[in-house]
Amino acid sequence: MFLRRKQRQSQHLAPDGVVPGPDLRRKEIQDRIRYLKKQINYGKLWMALFFLVSLGAVVDFRFLPPISEKTRQLLGGSPPTSLISVALIVYAFSALILILGHMNTGPRRFRGWSHIGYLSAFYLFYYYAGVLRDNFWPVFIAGLTILGLENYRVWSGCSEAIREEEKILTSLKK
Amino acid sequence: MFNNFASKAIVPVALSLTGFVIVCSFFLYSAIKEDFMRNAVRQETSLADTVVRSTRYTMMTDDRESLCQVIDSIGAQEGIEHLRIFNKEGVIMFSSQSGELNQVVDKTTAGCIECHSGSEPKVRLGSMQLARHFVNARNHSVLAITAPIYNDEHCSAGDCHFHPAHQKVLGTLDIGLSTDSMDSCLLALRWKMTAFCLMVLILSVGGVSALLKRNLLLPIDQLIDYVKKVSGGKLDNDFPKGIREIETLGQIYLDMASEKDLAETELKKIRKADNMSNGKGE
Repeated sequence: MFLRRKQRQSQHLAPDGVVPGPDLRRKEIQDRIRYLKKQINYGKLWMALFFLVSLGAVVDFRFLPPISEKTRQLLGGSPPTSLISVALIVYAFSALILILGHMNTGPRRFRGWSHIGYLSAFYLFYYYAGVLRDNFWPVFIAGLTILGLENYRVWSGCSEAIREEEKILTSLKK
Repeated sequence: MFNNFASKAIVPVALSLTGFVIVCSFFLYSAIKEDFMRNAVRQETSLADTVVRSTRYTMMTDDRESLCQVIDSIGAQEGIEHLRIFNKEGVIMFSSQSGELNQVVDKTTAGCIECHSGSEPKVRLGSMQLARHFVNARNHSVLAITAPIYNDEHCSAGDCHFHPAHQKVLGTLDIGLSTDSMDSCLLALRWKMTAFCLMVLILSVGGVSALLKRNLLLPIDQLIDYVKKVSGGKLDNDFPKGIREIETLGQIYLDMASEKDLAETELKKIRKADNMSNGKGE
């Protein structure tokens, strides 16, 4: 009964009010499954990118050219290290709260790309202040936690949806 | 694996708590370490100032022997790794280690470069800039201060040895204290913080798990057993009580099952009546 209700809910009517045939329905479901799987894979890709950025940070971005005096004069002095650290704590706290909030209501889309940007910015701020070596681990662990939780959220939501779609697909094949 | 209610509820909480507590611990530790260091530098600056003041009279009277005695006595104290005075040219004039005497200090090393980085040496620096932290030849961790000895009117107008009034710095006092005790304090703090983090995590994750199990998972399991029992035809109001939502669910299921049972009984009666009337007609 539950399955039939689910099927009814997910049935899309064509613009002229005609119910699409089983082949079209199957194709739609397969497309949705592909989309959900893609979202799970996006999470892994972004995580890999974060590891790459962290790898650069752990060697103090040695591969980058040193910041010239002219650039430093243009950019001005770096903010105090304690202020960057407070900003990191506030960011990590709010990001975790937001992700936990999205667990129930948010979309199943992976939204970790913005976090990669924020975390890289923290690495760069510490690098510019010349204290990246001392503050690498807090940023790395904050990133691991935030992206890990976001990945878990997407993975758990998408896996559940994939299971549901596969059930409908199986019932359509019968 | 993560398909059950317990893991769905506990994994996000455990993950976010662990990460956040570790990040905060890192910052707390570095803030405490910085406070320790700042305090040590303040104490060392004060000690350097005391040494300069106590040797002032011997310097004014050019009593080099007494000055050597003072330097030796202070340098022999426990925790003092080195104590030296060098002149404006960087030649070590007095030292607690006699082997260092008359050696020239390299101006590009830590402790000197802070003032001598530009074309003109800086005359004044902040207390944290005067400090340097390094491991010495005896493999001891040392926090050292280089305190400039400034010229004043008594020096420039003294009888014993004349310094021109425009010369702002006469020499430098360099004092290094062992940071072994501070390091052991910080190590102990590190272990205590790790233990504290572990306890917080075990308590919070364990607490969440225990509460979930007691207030949610157990009643849900009981509700499942009750639903199975009712589906098997045993109608009683033995559903789990104490949690409003679970009670409501149990009550709704009982009502549904009762209605279904009643409808089936009615259907049976109708069928029976039908059969009987059909039999009479024939």
